[in-house]
Amino acid sequence: MYDLSPVLDTEAVTEVRPGTSVLVAGPAMTGKDQLALDILAAGSRQGEGALVVSTSDEASTIMEDYQARVGHEGGYPLGIVDCFADTDEPAPDRPGSYVHHVSSPADLTGIGIGITKCLESLHDNGADRGRMGLSSLSTMLTYTDRKTVFKFCHVLSSRLDAAGYLGVFTIDTGAHDEQTIQVIKQAFDGLVELRQSDAGREARVVGIADSPTAWAAL
Amino acid sequence: MTDSTAPVVLIVEDEPDVAETYKLWLEGDYEVRLAADGTEGWEKLDEDVDVVLLDRMMPGLSGDEVLDNIREEGLSCRVAMVTAVEPDFDILDMGFDSYLSKPIRSDELHETVEKLLERSSYDRLLQQYYALVEKQATLETAKSGAELAESDEYERLQGRIEELQEDLSQTMGSVKDDTDFLTTIQQIGGDEN
Repeated sequence: MYDLSPVLDTEAVTEVRPGTSVLVAGPAMTGKDQLALDILAAGSRQGEGALVVSTSDEASTIMEDYQARVGHEGGYPLGIVDCFADTDEPAPDRPGSYVHHVSSPADLTGIGIGITKCLESLHDNGADRGRMGLSSLSTMLTYTDRKTVFKFCHVLSSRLDAAGYLGVFTIDTGAHDEQTIQVIKQAFDGLVELRQSDAGREARVVGIADSPTAWAAL
Repeated sequence: MTDSTAPVVLIVEDEPDVAETYKLWLEGDYEVRLAADGTEGWEKLDEDVDVVLLDRMMPGLSGDEVLDNIREEGLSCRVAMVTAVEPDFDILDMGFDSYLSKPIRSDELHETVEKLLERSSYDRLLQQYYALVEKQATLETAKSGAELAESDEYERLQGRIEELQEDLSQTMGSVKDDTDFLTTIQQIGGDEN
């Protein structure tokens, strides 16, 4: 089981079944991508594997940021699929890390290959469980139609399920029409909704426990 | 076997003895079509064909060319390339789903065809599932919660979606290993081309 309560303070997520994939959805500036990485980092602190698929940052930035989030340099296994910077430059060398570059967020096969290689590397580095974060589906939706993105999410969730991983995908609800959000949601087991209120950033979890959790400050 | 619901396998092979042998092995379980070369193979290909066993080296239209045509036309059949030697190229780059190196044994052939059929049934289910999800989203955005609660159509739709989810998770075996996962991803990405 995966415990997400260090990040999302609710009973509902203390025991999330391996193979679960959730969608983190909210408008711009609500910290969706940060939340996804925090969920991964909480796992890394316990020695789980972490796999980051990014459409918006290059591998070296992710690695630095991620290290700060985990809070130590220790030998946690990390895999990165960088769909942002298609570069021939060697990835930063860090023991236990594996980086795969993909030419564009539209190259789904390339992303699939990257994920496969990362999972293999994480396994070789002793991680028999772990968490995968993908930021963001909104970027992918600007390159690829929603039907393809939906299918991609479904197939990827199934692959993560077979690997016993936890999947965390992010989407910017302000960037798409309501129908698109409704469709994409359906590819996931659960939903973490984020919003900005007068009280600050808030989150609630839908679909993991029997009923939605109350909005709670992050 | 003449059962019209049996999956259709097209064997494209220029050596008659070899082609007949494959046919003999498969015809108990599938509807088998034979083509003696690439040109005939291309003629006998239509939407009903589920799996193509494609010999790579043939006079006339080669296996590679038939494969290009299949992908260009966007045919949904799955293709196993039959080669004389273990290929040293990348399956994904070549655009086929599986390969068999000669000589092929009966059990190998059955296993490959079954695996490819399972993959295409996963694709088909996913396609149906998407269509329903899209419909559901349309209703959800057009109608209020109260209207949805009263709608029989919405209720039926939800029931059907749950059934398909169940079917999909049972067919999920088809994306369990890496090659299956990657060829499935490639297929969904390729749909739009």
